[in-house]
Amino acid sequence: MKRETREITLVIDGREIAATEGAMLVDAARHGDVEIPVFCYEPKLGQPVGACRMCLVEIEGIPKLQTACSTPVRDGMVVYTQTDQVKEAQNAVVEFLLVNHPLDCPVCDKGGECPLQDISIGWGPGNSRFIEGKRHFEKPLPLSPLVAIDRERCIMCYRCVRFSQEISEDAQLQLLERGDRTYVGTFDERPYIAPFHGNITELCPVGALTSYTYRFRARPWDIEQAGSVCTLCPSQCNVRFTIRDEKVKRVLARDNPEVDDGWLCDRGRYGFEMFGADERITAPMIREGDGFRVASWPEAIERAASGLRTAGSETAALVGDASNEEGYLVQRIIREALGGGDIDSRPGGGADRNLNMRLSDPAISARVADIDTADVVLVLGVDPIHSAPILDLRVRKAVRRSGTLLAIATDRPSALDGGATAVARSHPRHTAAMIEEIRNGTGDGAEIAALLEDAEDIVVIWGERVAREGRAVESLLGLAADLKLSEGERSGLIGVPELANGRGLREVGCLPDAAPGLGETGKGPGRDTGAIREALIADQLKALILFGSDPLRDAPDSSGWEEALTQVGFTVAFSMFGDASTARADVVFPLETFAEKEGTVTHMEGRLQRVRPSAKRPGDVRPGWQILAEISASLGDETGISSAPDALLAVADSVSFYAGLTAEEIGGRGIRWQDRTAAESLPASTGVGVTDGHSEHPKSTPAPDPGGALRLGTFRDLWANEVTELNPALRFLTQQQRLEIAPVDAERLGISQGEEVEVGQNGNSVKARVVLRERQLPGVVFLIEGTLEGNANELVHGPARTVEIRKAEGH
Amino acid sequence: MSLDPLDTPGLPVDPALTIGRVPDRTPEEIPELHEVNCPPELRERVEELISRYPDKHSASIPALWAIQRRYGWCTPEGIRQVAAVMKVTPAYLESVASFYDLLRTEPAGTHQVLVCTNISCWMRGGDELLGAFVEAAGCSAEEAGHGGALSDDGEILISGFECLGACDLAPMASIDERYFGPLETAEAAEAIKQLRTGREVLPDRPLFKRPLPGGAKGVGVDDQ
Amino acid sequence: MISETRVLLANAQEPGLNTIDIYKRLGGYESLEKAYLHMEPHDVLTELEDSGLRGRGGAGFSMGKKASFLPRGEMAKYLCCNADESEPGAFKDRELMQRNPHQLIEGIAIAALAADAGHAFVFIRGEYDLQAGILEAAVAEAYEAGYLGRDILGTHRDLELVVHRGAGAYICGEETALLDALEGKRGNPRLKPPFPAIQGLYGGPTLINNVETLSNVPHIVRHGADWFKGFGTEQSPGTKVVSISGCVRRPGNYEVELGVPLRDLIFGLAGGPLEGREIKAFYPGGSSSPVLTPAELDLPYSFEAMAEAGSMLGSGSVIVADDSVSIPHMALRTARFYHHESCGKCSPCREGTNWTVKMLERVVGGEATPMDLDIISSVQTNIIGNCLCVLGDSMAMPVSSMVRKFRDEFEAVMSGADVVTRTADAAEADPAGSLL
Ligand SMILES: Cc1cc2nc3c(=O)[nH]c(=O)nc-3n(C[C@H](O)[C@H](O)[C@H](O)COP(=O)(O)O)c2cc1C
Ligand code: SF4
Ligand code: FES
Repeated sequence: MKRETREITLVIDGREIAATEGAMLVDAARHGDVEIPVFCYEPKLGQPVGACRMCLVEIEGIPKLQTACSTPVRDGMVVYTQTDQVKEAQNAVVEFLLVNHPLDCPVCDKGGECPLQDISIGWGPGNSRFIEGKRHFEKPLPLSPLVAIDRERCIMCYRCVRFSQEISEDAQLQLLERGDRTYVGTFDERPYIAPFHGNITELCPVGALTSYTYRFRARPWDIEQAGSVCTLCPSQCNVRFTIRDEKVKRVLARDNPEVDDGWLCDRGRYGFEMFGADERITAPMIREGDGFRVASWPEAIERAASGLRTAGSETAALVGDASNEEGYLVQRIIREALGGGDIDSRPGGGADRNLNMRLSDPAISARVADIDTADVVLVLGVDPIHSAPILDLRVRKAVRRSGTLLAIATDRPSALDGGATAVARSHPRHTAAMIEEIRNGTGDGAEIAALLEDAEDIVVIWGERVAREGRAVESLLGLAADLKLSEGERSGLIGVPELANGRGLREVGCLPDAAPGLGETGKGPGRDTGAIREALIADQLKALILFGSDPLRDAPDSSGWEEALTQVGFTVAFSMFGDASTARADVVFPLETFAEKEGTVTHMEGRLQRVRPSAKRPGDVRPGWQILAEISASLGDETGISSAPDALLAVADSVSFYAGLTAEEIGGRGIRWQDRTAAESLPASTGVGVTDGHSEHPKSTPAPDPGGALRLGTFRDLWANEVTELNPALRFLTQQQRLEIAPVDAERLGISQGEEVEVGQNGNSVKARVVLRERQLPGVVFLIEGTLEGNANELVHGPARTVEIRKAEGH
Repeated sequence: MSLDPLDTPGLPVDPALTIGRVPDRTPEEIPELHEVNCPPELRERVEELISRYPDKHSASIPALWAIQRRYGWCTPEGIRQVAAVMKVTPAYLESVASFYDLLRTEPAGTHQVLVCTNISCWMRGGDELLGAFVEAAGCSAEEAGHGGALSDDGEILISGFECLGACDLAPMASIDERYFGPLETAEAAEAIKQLRTGREVLPDRPLFKRPLPGGAKGVGVDDQ
Repeated sequence: MISETRVLLANAQEPGLNTIDIYKRLGGYESLEKAYLHMEPHDVLTELEDSGLRGRGGAGFSMGKKASFLPRGEMAKYLCCNADESEPGAFKDRELMQRNPHQLIEGIAIAALAADAGHAFVFIRGEYDLQAGILEAAVAEAYEAGYLGRDILGTHRDLELVVHRGAGAYICGEETALLDALEGKRGNPRLKPPFPAIQGLYGGPTLINNVETLSNVPHIVRHGADWFKGFGTEQSPGTKVVSISGCVRRPGNYEVELGVPLRDLIFGLAGGPLEGREIKAFYPGGSSSPVLTPAELDLPYSFEAMAEAGSMLGSGSVIVADDSVSIPHMALRTARFYHHESCGKCSPCREGTNWTVKMLERVVGGEATPMDLDIISSVQTNIIGNCLCVLGDSMAMPVSSMVRKFRDEFEAVMSGADVVTRTADAAEADPAGSLL
């Protein structure tokens, strides 16, 4: 979809101001340094509503005052914002707004950062003539376990309810009653629980909606703000930390239209209390019996080095939560210092080097911002709400505002289904088949194929975990070629990695078959995550480095990993918190959180972003790059890295297409490497031959198992991870294992909603509660990966993936 | 130091404010049909309503009427049932219901008497008429004047109301959705008795039996 | 002696007029057949424009002109009949729908042809259950007879007509709030522009007209614009069904040519004030219109004359207050209505109506000072022109007119002087039907 824009000039208070035609008057004025006060206007929420009437201005030729928030500018428009008529209106509106607003600023959390306070002072009459009684509500009430609502303070700007209707579209938060009895609430006074609901606390222009995690914690005059990037998921939203006494007290959005549109999910917003949790590992530790003892840095480094030295090239590494610099150094230790090659950053393995090079081709990669204007968005093998929440909002925005058509091809029902024009549901691990059906316009793919047929700008959002399936990526690249994605300016693929910095780690060499910059390893491919597990069990590998990685929880085949970690002779773990895998290590090094770390990460669209130190490191925590550099040195490989900038320099030198990158260039908004000239030095992939779309493929929805056995699919739930458990504010969201099953299957098995069952598969079994899902394919069931109990990864190993379901004993 | 992710971190959080408790009730998302057991006839009715409009949301007010006709008022269960059929959140339907005076989000008895107290009726005794109904039904005058009051037996709802569009009948009342007037205060008790005993209400006062003031041809027309 | 001029209410008392048979026997649907079979849509439109028919719902805007604003083209267009009639004093649409539903349906079908709308809705206030039932039955008959639905009279033109019941909210009469309500939302007014004619229901071009306005259409098509202009004044052509209520002997709906003297309406038709009473003030155009005094009784009842007098004809509803009525109390009643009906979307209306009611309550409670009267007036000024729609103004205009014209009475009440709050007893009125 193309947009024409024309530059025009208008006159505000006698001054000529340049603006883009159609821009709203308030915004045009702001660019011309004329401030027009607003309350209800918030462009992020879509169309203006003109409700508060704060922005009334005089426009030549129009008798009535107009709302500047909803008046598009025209060439030659003459506007007055200072006349008596306007001032009277502004005074009037402020006076009206204060009629029912309590004057409890001294005890209000918003005090000092409150638009109502500021505007009353700047544009109000100074005194109110209102002497009648104000309206009363019980205050404050829990709107949710995270947000308190003080209805007496509400000025009816509708921002919060508009967010719920038009941005997150959960439609849980609503206006109730009418007129001055109107109040913000939920159905039947239920709690408002939705993944993005924390944003309303930032939208509210008064102290009506506040986060419990921040109430009475700090005052605007004793805090500082510090910008960084949230690395809890691949969305890598830009954040602003509110810092007091060198500790993070609050996380706010740092609007970056290229990345997050200024929204945050609740995990990012409320996942900061863990920075100070008891589980934080705050000093290096060495195993002693079944426990650990705190060790000095030199001792720990030497212990780690000697253990690794003994294992030498028979050392493997799994990299998880790491910056580009840290990832680079880990692979360097494996490859240079130890002469090995077994390293991976993907819990379930994935595409090979050549495919990765093809996927990295700038021509077929889209920007997140391209979603906004796409004719069709195809969401393939991923549910953004769980894997990269902010993309969920982005897609909804495109559908709602640009009339983008949405196509969904997933195994599990997706949160986006509701807004989709075409939905195709495949069996688990049948994505390749699904893609081929889309390419051929056959079977369940036909409808989607029809949509793509006559679309110009197409963005395909795909989950990189589908690369766990053999041919899915070839098929995807074939689809990209069929759709000529390389030709469209605003078309392309956006791959959602499994890890927050999955793309960065891939590009700095944390792959078994690719050196930094997707270069040759020189000695053939090493082992991927699964092969590493097997090799550890088979004692072909002697040592293991776990860097921000917890395979026991996150990787397929938990019991296999159990065995592997028991087998392995020596393990060095780098970890923020004491997770299950870390507990098995011989040496443990503390890691920084993204509030303390200095480094870079690479966003899924190829945008390098800076993680910047904002809070104080607890205890004796040291930078990851430093620890790794020291280990590398004592292993005989002197990296010459003695500062964070050095580390970035080393990365930039070894990743051809990052060449010359500096922190300054990345800046506060980040920069896509595809937009830099160095992008040309991306190594050329071989055999760019396109798999022909007509080759024989299994159906995406194979016939039901004759024996009536159910096929198991697994997924990573937004809340099934340590962040939920380590933050008291989020703990109520901890996911118990649940069996998602189609009503027909449940009926056949005689099990009902909420019932506890055993889900078994050759030998292993997990307990789960039954949840009926109308939109789910019959014959398929889903379990959550990464739950504390009954982790689905227990059942995920080998090709056979059908499960038997038994009513749990005693039920 | 503990390495067990399960045990709770002691955080620098004022326990009085610490949240993260499991809320006692679930959030209200779009219910699935198997969760609500919607009566078939209600479901068919709502589906028929949806089919009348280019956009399903347009059916919300008629659908809320359907809930009210079936359950006497817009009950939370009724709202959830229809929400499941319409595939919208119950919150959305409650929000709409609470905006409109005739859609009741609280029990409303089996008979509703709306007495107009707006300008024209007020001039002609609307307040007194409301008072008479309140007395006859035996309910709170205060509540009757503010949204409606139920008689002790919960059978009859008496409510002062804004202009019902029948100022020619002033003072008037709408009894079970039929208009009556002009009414003498004495007729209030009579009407309540008739409602209670299931007899025809005020047989010679219904609007539909009332001719135009100007007669069949109009004032002055016959004698031209 | 004034007499009624019945066009819309002609045959109104014919038994069974609400059935299609009787309606057709009296010439019903001939205009529809003429328009659909023997006229070009744009000729119908021109006829309506030439007639000078002005909206009967309040704003008094030219019906034909509004219809001509709708863009032509393929996009889905809509017609909404505004039957929300909730303004205190107005009850004419009730009469028209209850007695002659087919006249309205015929008008809608013809207007839809002129506006090229394929989907029409009648938004009828929820309280009008009897009338909605009658209308729905009539619509069914019209579908049956082929005047609605697919391929009307074999012209390949379609028109779906849905009777949509409101649920008790005066604001839904405001055209954009009506659209939101029809779209299944809370009835909040929308920002204008865009105007409904350009972007209305479901984002499509939408023509919104009042029941009475549309009921005029068949007659204009049948007899022509010139015939229509033969009635009324130059700027207010045609007849008007006037709802007269309050302190008069024979309240009710009377159809007259626009421009007849108010005195004739109130005295000649409605029988004047009750025994021993005198008129103190009256709303000429429903509760939203600034009140007039007996001095203005001889003005002609037309859009222009009422505007000149600083008030408005509005929906054509005259509410008469006699000397037993306390103006401050009447002001309070008026304010309470708008406070109760304010949708709450915009601040000046939401808070202004609430504040005004509280102040007037103190006034009638004798707890106010003259300074409060000034604040009341200034709050009204602060409301007027600053709201999202004109509901706020609809309270502010009459209230400030009362404070201005009856200030001494307000001061009297404040000083605790005991003023009668209404006429003695309903019994004083003529009992129903005593005329006949
Ligand atoms: C608060 C408010 C209430 C209104 N109520 C009605 C109504 O009940 N019926 C009506 O026809 N017009 C009503 N109107 C006027 C409509 O907005 C609109 O102008 C009218 O329906 C257009 O039809 P017409 O041109 O045929 O008069 C109201 C306007 C406002 C501001
Ligand atoms: S709670 Fe806050 S955001 Fe919501 S409407 Fe009230 S003032 Fe606006
Ligand atoms: S900011 Fe323009 S009306 Fe609220």
